Amino acid sequence: MKKLFFCSSLPFFVLGTVLLSGQSAMASGGSFMDRIHAADEPFDNTAIETAYQLPVKTVLAKESYQGGTFKVLARKDSISRYRCSVCHTDKKVGVRDGALFTHSDIEVNHGRGDDKLACIECHDEKNRDLLSDAQGKKIDFDHSYQLCGQCHFRQKRDWLGGAHGKRETFWAGERVVLNCTSCHSPHSPAFKTKMPVTYSLPLEE
Amino acid sequence: MDFRKKKETQMKTKEPHKNTSTRRSFLKGLSIAAAAGSAGLVTGGCVPLEKTEEMGLKWEEYFKKNYRLMTQEEKDETVARLERLAKLKDDADIQMSNQEPLDQVLYGYAFNISRCKGYMDCVEACVQENNLDRKSKTQYIRLFEMDPGQLDPTSGEGKYHHEVPVDHKFYMGVQCYHCENAPCIKACPTKATWREPDGIVVVDYDWCIGCRYCLAACPYWGRRFNWGDPEVPKEEMNRKQHYLGNRMRMKGVMEKCTFCVQRTRQGKLPACADACPTGSRVFGNLLDPDSEIRFVLKHKKVFRFKEELGTDPKFWYFID
Repeated sequence: MKKLFFCSSLPFFVLGTVLLSGQSAMASGGSFMDRIHAADEPFDNTAIETAYQLPVKTVLAKESYQGGTFKVLARKDSISRYRCSVCHTDKKVGVRDGALFTHSDIEVNHGRGDDKLACIECHDEKNRDLLSDAQGKKIDFDHSYQLCGQCHFRQKRDWLGGAHGKRETFWAGERVVLNCTSCHSPHSPAFKTKMPVTYSLPLEE
Repeated sequence: MDFRKKKETQMKTKEPHKNTSTRRSFLKGLSIAAAAGSAGLVTGGCVPLEKTEEMGLKWEEYFKKNYRLMTQEEKDETVARLERLAKLKDDADIQMSNQEPLDQVLYGYAFNISRCKGYMDCVEACVQENNLDRKSKTQYIRLFEMDPGQLDPTSGEGKYHHEVPVDHKFYMGVQCYHCENAPCIKACPTKATWREPDGIVVVDYDWCIGCRYCLAACPYWGRRFNWGDPEVPKEEMNRKQHYLGNRMRMKGVMEKCTFCVQRTRQGKLPACADACPTGSRVFGNLLDPDSEIRFVLKHKKVFRFKEELGTDPKFWYFID
């Protein structure tokens, strides 16, 4: 009887050992996070030929990303009345034209509470074709991240690294990222509320 | 070594053209002969030439191998057949790719739960890109409005019919996480689903028998089943397709997010990440130390959903 018990339990014992060792082998085989952390060779971005030229105009950023260069979407092309110095001259403007030329359509909703920003806190007082930061440094419209970053430095740090904002179309190839003003209206930077495009079904269905 | 892995490597190393007289190749030859013969018999009658061509192509499709066992030549042949069949059946000019994974690439995804505003542009872009069934409203991505402190998407509300974002709510997207140790792959009895070398978990729709074991095995609700033939309006169909990605599925097969394999292997972002207006979706190469995804993993507070299951999802949630 005892022998029989031994004989019948042996296969289970062997099976159990095999299964257990198999599991531990998988666990000690190194997690894939180790593989990720061990990968320190930068990806050869020239290996991927971007299928087509981006349909957007870009400029080389005046910042560096991981020690290299990157591009941002140009801004000036999408400002309908650029260049500003065409209108902002010493020439006198008639009352009728003045109504046409003032920026009455712009609503500034930038800044906390009632303490909204004034135009010249970002726009240069003298040269209307440029922006200027709190220290008076002149900044091009295409490089507005330099201006935004003086207050929103955390967002700028994340944007430089890639945790804020997004890339244009491609994850590979030359790094082209959206500018601050590609997503945020500079005069009213918070995202608007709107209706969702669709809806989701519950998970358990 | 885990012997399932051993088996897989055996399957890969075996060169299919060496053993030329398999049962499958014999049947294939026989079937082509039969189709041609029957075609020859009936062409004298009333069956038009396109019909016989379609029948012949369908025969050959029926006897093709699992995608992983195909030689490059066979892959090119089946893609050409499927393109031609789409033309004959639906008069659709599709371009199907069988592009291989890129070297030194492992895809990873990160989702910013403090930035997402719940607009659901990603869900809609995914439906358009991946030719998802409009009739049953299939979606790969689900987005939930959640209460603070909750991290379980089953507690969230997906059908919110009001303007978003709402104060004191956050939004969490759920989709296939492309686990490194994916339970769905283990559950499949026909090896119709597997993880590609670039980390994407794909389905061979022609090898799936529709048993739905993978659906039951997935702890993340990542898989979708076609209860009927998927319907996509012809003018809305995305014609740039991939064999393992957004080509038209059929009734009775499983489908799932493929990280938009047809886009990502060309260096593009997945449709959801490209469509996101808030930049909540970060996608990139985990093996590239300079990539955005690696920046997120290094500098942000990240977590993975149900990490304790040991499935190793390649999808992280993070907060600013």
